[in-house]
Amino acid sequence: MRVAVTLCILTVMAQTSIVQADEQTDFFERKIRPILVEHCYDCHSSEGADIEGGLRLDSRDAMRRGGESGPAVMPKQVDKSLLVSAIKYESIKMPPEHKLSDEIVEDFVKWIQLGAADPREESSVPAEVVHSEIDYDLGRQFWSFQKPERHPLPYHDWMDWCRTETDHFVASSLRTNGISPSPTAAPNILLRRLSFDLTGLPPSREWVTRVERLAEEDDYTQAVDELIGSASFGEHWSRLWLDIMRFADDQAHIVGSNEELFFPNSFLYRNWVIDALNRDMPFNQFIELQLAADLATPEDKDDDVALGLMGLGPKYYRRSSPEVIADEWEDRVDILSRGLLGLTVACARCHDHKYDPIGTADYYAIAGVFASVEMFNRPLDADRETKNKGEAKNPRDAMHILRETEPVDLAIMVRGDVNRKGPVVPKRFLTVLSSSEPEAFQNGSGRLELAKSITSPDNPLTARVFVNRVWAKMIGRPLVGTPSNFGKLGDTPSHPELLDDLAVRFTEHGWSLKWLCREIAMSATYRQTSQTNEPGLDADEENRLLWRMNRKRLSIEQLRDSMLAAAGKLDADVGGHSIDPSDPETRRRTIYSQVSRLKLNPMLALFDYPDPNVHSERRATTTTPTQKLFLLNSPFVVKTAAILTERLKEETDGNEELVEQAYLLLFSRKPTTDERQLGIEYLASADDQKKKYVHALMVGNGMLFVD
Amino acid sequence: MTNSIDRRKMLQRAGGGFGILPLAGMFQQQCKAEGSSQGPHFPAKAKRVIFLFMNGAPSHVDTFDPKPKLTEYEGQLPEGMKTRGNGYMPSPFRFAPHGESGVIMSELFPQLATCADDLCVIRSMHTDTPNHEPGLLLMHSGSQQPTRPCLGSWASYGLGTENENLPAFVALCPGMPVVGPQLWSAAFLPGNHQAMSVNTSDMKLDSLVAHLKHPSLSRSEQREQLDLIQHLNRLQLQSSSDDELNAHIRSMELAYQMQSEASEAFDVSNEPQSVHDRYGNSTFAQSCLLGRRLLERGVRFVQVYYVDKNKQPWDTHTDNDNKHRTLCADSDKATAALLMDLKERGMLEDTLVIWGGEFGRTPYSQINNDKNKAKPGRDHHATGFSMFLAGGGVRGGMMYGQTDELGMHAIEDRVHVHDLHATILHLMGIEHTRLTYRYSGRDFRLTDVHGRVVSDIIQTNTT
Repeated sequence: MRVAVTLCILTVMAQTSIVQADEQTDFFERKIRPILVEHCYDCHSSEGADIEGGLRLDSRDAMRRGGESGPAVMPKQVDKSLLVSAIKYESIKMPPEHKLSDEIVEDFVKWIQLGAADPREESSVPAEVVHSEIDYDLGRQFWSFQKPERHPLPYHDWMDWCRTETDHFVASSLRTNGISPSPTAAPNILLRRLSFDLTGLPPSREWVTRVERLAEEDDYTQAVDELIGSASFGEHWSRLWLDIMRFADDQAHIVGSNEELFFPNSFLYRNWVIDALNRDMPFNQFIELQLAADLATPEDKDDDVALGLMGLGPKYYRRSSPEVIADEWEDRVDILSRGLLGLTVACARCHDHKYDPIGTADYYAIAGVFASVEMFNRPLDADRETKNKGEAKNPRDAMHILRETEPVDLAIMVRGDVNRKGPVVPKRFLTVLSSSEPEAFQNGSGRLELAKSITSPDNPLTARVFVNRVWAKMIGRPLVGTPSNFGKLGDTPSHPELLDDLAVRFTEHGWSLKWLCREIAMSATYRQTSQTNEPGLDADEENRLLWRMNRKRLSIEQLRDSMLAAAGKLDADVGGHSIDPSDPETRRRTIYSQVSRLKLNPMLALFDYPDPNVHSERRATTTTPTQKLFLLNSPFVVKTAAILTERLKEETDGNEELVEQAYLLLFSRKPTTDERQLGIEYLASADDQKKKYVHALMVGNGMLFVD
Repeated sequence: MTNSIDRRKMLQRAGGGFGILPLAGMFQQQCKAEGSSQGPHFPAKAKRVIFLFMNGAPSHVDTFDPKPKLTEYEGQLPEGMKTRGNGYMPSPFRFAPHGESGVIMSELFPQLATCADDLCVIRSMHTDTPNHEPGLLLMHSGSQQPTRPCLGSWASYGLGTENENLPAFVALCPGMPVVGPQLWSAAFLPGNHQAMSVNTSDMKLDSLVAHLKHPSLSRSEQREQLDLIQHLNRLQLQSSSDDELNAHIRSMELAYQMQSEASEAFDVSNEPQSVHDRYGNSTFAQSCLLGRRLLERGVRFVQVYYVDKNKQPWDTHTDNDNKHRTLCADSDKATAALLMDLKERGMLEDTLVIWGGEFGRTPYSQINNDKNKAKPGRDHHATGFSMFLAGGGVRGGMMYGQTDELGMHAIEDRVHVHDLHATILHLMGIEHTRLTYRYSGRDFRLTDVHGRVVSDIIQTNTT
């Protein structure tokens, strides 16, 4: 969202003056003032309510102070007087209707060379002047710009309940609010919860058969470690990252049938992400490689695929025009700032951020980094056909990454207008996240320096923002309710000390995602039942304080994968090309779905898959009858239910066993007495009820939710 | 009146919810009872609503609010305003009174002119923000924050559904408008009050509503299967009950019911060619026609979004006049067709039709760069704009409220968005201050602490 310009009303009082009726003043009165009055005052004087570009030309001081773009007139410095380049039509073109005659232009040049004598006083009329007035020191005092610190564990009455440091912060705030934590969930519920949260899949049969042992701490620990160690972990957790970075295989537009701008090999990047998470690559390194693998590890060409973070970004229609180029920078800045820093820096593209200490200069300092690179289809190997500058002729032969171009520093585009250039800003990091004035990046595009600024131990946001996202995925509710906005308009944390403590320990533990997931999974907070109770509901219906576990709805990925898993048809191969998830014959995990910016797969769209054109802060959760129609009637579900039915028929003997086995496969637990009885009665009620029964189990709430 | 909170809590905490209830037959009634939590508080004049939303915001001074003074002030800059144009810009369109009542509108609405005596044009609308996202949210949910239930969800929550086989609330939009599904979100209200959103970019039935038919099961077989699903769902509720699970149960029931009725309701190809011709073939026109079919079949609240490839086509920052010519021609024909169609079917008297956008446009021009000098636009304008209502107990042939002589600010009989919401609910039989929902320790309502029913525009009962 672009924010309104920051306006500051300056009241400039009249000053006494000595008017010298000398030669120069005479020149001004004869040659300069009439032109200004005739051609400029309409838009650039305090008489008109509309002062274009914040520039007034009706007084000496206003003219020398200038507007948004800088001083209009600097005495004796023709080159630095923007007025001259404007009337020469060299920068902006003024007056816009027609160019002034060469003679007049020469008069202005001469006048400035002579010292720009100007007898005009400030009027006492208050004038609107646009200028940036961000107090960065004040801004840095906001909670999220303060470096997170570890906190001493609070004292409270629930010490026995706590298992990890995390729990002490939760327990303490519960105690303060007079709420008790909930008891530990049953082993079968914990197993299903752990499995879906850590791998996105239902638990293995092996664990289901020995589920009762999960009540033992050693076995619980073993289950957690096994799940975190499985290859499914990276597949599941890559989803979080791919939503953040708007992963897709194509573009939102296509001209004719020209697919030149598409990303047929985007899967290479996805494979890299999955693999990096499975190897538990430190998150700081994960970011550094994605922003600057080519600069960080120039000897390793393979890891350049990580550059897909920006290399797979949207390429807009008419992308060679200046406006569109600027729009593409905005995408990159937005992914970087909202995705990694929880800051809405793109709001400052046209004007200083209205709420946060982020100036337009900050925006163009970062945008400059992306103006110094280009998207690059690097040939997969030497045999591929190339076109100019070594780029693969066909995107199918390429890895979609970035490469350096001639480094440039961008001029601020006044009000986001590509034709109105303000001062040039060197490429550098955000002011508010630097201890003083940030230093300009020195090397090429500055990508590596930018990455290092993001992962610096002094950066107060990166770890916090990521920890909050992981917490949300594990617990079902973030600590900061606006995961991509830690600014003034964002939420304040429900447990500020916990967030800080986790963020610090996350970095101390080598920025390890696996450590973080384990830390949360081992906590008593995580192990609580999701059942509600009266005092809890009365005190905190939203469960902001975490007096119970949140019941979580399966994502479309988890839902489709678990159906296939129950049917025994899930293809466990990790990595690979994209698939059509709604094809009943396709058994690969949903993470491998084709993702189109042009026309998102209807199955994904139906179940709240985010728009891959932009960064997704969080997935929405909707409940619609059209989703249910999909579950009742779609070829995918009907077919998968049929396969599971056949499996159950083969593997079981008699209806009672079928019912029991179906529950184990679908819900990782045995049926209750009522459920068993209902199943047996239903199956006996007519011939050929099995398929309908299994389908019913597969689409009910028992399948859709994880307690 | 029943306090919905207590009942909800009772159901939730009795350890039962739907689990304590017997099977199917009862279930549907329960859906209805549970859906209609509060209203109506008094007899409704409008049984249903269709809100035609002109995304991007139409210009009031070019449509329903003639400002001849703009000619006199042409080129003068509005006082105290920072503008980027050539000052006040008169509308090039001729205005004239129409019908017996003399409701004034511009030449852009030749068809609506014939419905003048049914229209109640509010010329004194005002809202809090001239930005699209918060403006859209305010017009939809009474709040600039994207976390509040929208008008249609409140109506569904307050009144339930008239037809158990179709959703109470449907949003028709080709693609997604700016802001997206948040515009028809139930937020913290029970999830079944969220609109069913339908992508109208392709009007073929299979595209509008996918998976309407099971590949092999007969209807009775599927009913029996569905009873099983719901029985299983209710068994789960016995151990843990909450609103979210209930919403899924209702949604599943609705999906089943829709199969029989939706294939008929959503299929506009069932309409005779003469009807298609009357509405027109544009996406908006076809959506209006689909909206009428849904209203006819008991859908309580239909939102139709005027969106095309451009997510907000009415956002005429450049070339305002020509764009309004094109947009109004389409909107005029379809809207008038809808009004006449409803009237002929005897539905207009209890169907409220609303036409408007998130705000208005500036009476002065906007020029973004040199290129557009010849085709000036108009900027966003929040302090005075027009909308119209028709049918549903609204006084027809009426112009209500005024902006100042230049169309800058609503000055007489001002109607804020909250007032519009209060009035719409009132027409639907709901007292807006009494339609509340307790969430997170607070009673929320659509109009927050604001809202005034504009009783002047409501028909008085003649009986």
